[in-house]
Amino acid sequence: MTIYESDLPGVGKKYEIELESDERLVIVTHNTGKREIFKKDMQGADSEKIFELPDRLARKVGTILEGAYFQPVQSKRVETMLADETFIEWYSLSPESTLVGKPLKESNVREETGVSIVAIQREGELVSAPGPDTVLEGGDTLVVVGDRDDCRAFESLVSGTNE
Amino acid sequence: MAAETALIDVGILFAAVALAGLIAARINQSVIPFYIVVGMLLSPYVLGTVDFPALLGVDLIPHGSALALNGESEFIHLGAELGIVFLLFFLGLEFNLDRLLAAKHRIGKAGTIDLVINFGIGLVLGWILFGDFLAAFILAGIVYISSSAIITKSLIDMGWIANDEANPMLGTLVYEDLFIAVYLAVLSALIIGGGDISEALGSISIAMAFILVLLLVVYFGTAWFQRSLETDSNEFIVLRALGILVLISGAALALGVSEAVAAFFVGMAFSSTDHVHDLEQLLEPVRDTFAAVFFFWIGLETNPQLFIDVALLIAIAVVLTGPAKLISGYWGGRVYRLDERRSLRVGLGMTTRGEFSLIIASIAMLGAGTTLAEGTANQLYAFSVGYVLFMSILGTTLMQYSSQIESVVVPRLEGKSTSPQPSDD
Repeated sequence: MTIYESDLPGVGKKYEIELESDERLVIVTHNTGKREIFKKDMQGADSEKIFELPDRLARKVGTILEGAYFQPVQSKRVETMLADETFIEWYSLSPESTLVGKPLKESNVREETGVSIVAIQREGELVSAPGPDTVLEGGDTLVVVGDRDDCRAFESLVSGTNE
Repeated sequence: MAAETALIDVGILFAAVALAGLIAARINQSVIPFYIVVGMLLSPYVLGTVDFPALLGVDLIPHGSALALNGESEFIHLGAELGIVFLLFFLGLEFNLDRLLAAKHRIGKAGTIDLVINFGIGLVLGWILFGDFLAAFILAGIVYISSSAIITKSLIDMGWIANDEANPMLGTLVYEDLFIAVYLAVLSALIIGGGDISEALGSISIAMAFILVLLLVVYFGTAWFQRSLETDSNEFIVLRALGILVLISGAALALGVSEAVAAFFVGMAFSSTDHVHDLEQLLEPVRDTFAAVFFFWIGLETNPQLFIDVALLIAIAVVLTGPAKLISGYWGGRVYRLDERRSLRVGLGMTTRGEFSLIIASIAMLGAGTTLAEGTANQLYAFSVGYVLFMSILGTTLMQYSSQIESVVVPRLEGKSTSPQPSDD
């Protein structure tokens, strides 16, 4: 990868970055701090402006691209977002929970919290479509789908803190 | 009462200029010709001679010359002068000697082609028309210098700034800017210096000595210029920069040296400090404000009737110097090893003339009746305003229609020049 740098007197600086294939990314850094980002299909082609960023935003975006901006904190649970406000979450079922020993149809999980249990992981095996008669055991990992509040309600249920 | 009138004059000025800018932006044109035209419209020559209230049948508002703005008014004149100072200050600020030296071969070559062709044509044309060296020298400067302000802005607006044609264009502008700094020093010495050669030589040497002193100040004073703006307050940076810039420019003018040249060197002095970025950001709006006043003032001072006298002169100059810039620009593009299409674009873009031609014209007016015959000076002034109006609109239009022009012209160019142009650097 080659980066060409040139001065633009009275304007700022220009960086031209060779991408894979023949494309080139052109970044014009204005003296005002504004960055304009262009794309060229090949070396001699006309530049096509993609977007522009003010100075501060450009720096922030730059650190994200660099991989330095996010320092993810180790999360206690895995959380995956399905849509805007719908999550798939993994919970481990505490032996103290009131759910232990009950078949799903008696647990009233959906009525009480709003989440659906879509899978159960038990000692390395996966019960992919738990039925109404599936009995929950302490130590199970429950995979549920629900919105943020529902998941929170469910969390206290599985941890056994909610009587 | 007098103060009230003056404030409303200034209000009219800024409102008119703002409106002109709005219209120019709407129709995608450069603002400079619009500032000039609105100045002309409000001048005693146009607004002052038409009795609008009488046309409307209203007697309440003043009319005739009472309504028109006067270019001699202290504020507008000073504002225009500050406009020149700021324009040249920015030129110096963005002028980096190291950059120029880094690309000296190509910039030098493209810039020299541009200088020889365009300045040369101007000299010859001026000599034929006026038979006077000083007039020819002024005309040469007016038709030679492209507009940094308009061209740079158009480059950004059109997105060409990221293309290969931006380099020869901006490089040539840097060459022109350096030349114009020296040219203005010589010109103002010639204008102020008086008629005979020994006197002129005397004032040129004073001007050169002044430049030399400024150069030494720039060279040895970097640390001082650096320290002069060490502060966290934007307010103080602006005030100190203005204090230094306007004081030195004013002192130069008082000594009979061009204030524009002094401003250029003050800019250069700041260009090697860490404050360039702050200065550019903080003073750009100030520059644009006063530059607008300058263009407006140019319009105010112009009697559109004079265009009739110089129409033929303008036509000849447009026909000769328009294509001349196209050719020198194209050639400059080839020096940068650009293909036919991009080289043509360089030519199309460089055609624009603007602020510096007007600065030259306003300096030439100082010599009216002394070093320059009154009639010649007026002619040159009216010529340069008409010429800039035409060339600035022509240049921006050529850039906007470049794709259509390219599709017609480029196949012929490619057919003709099968052998690659020489280039060595």
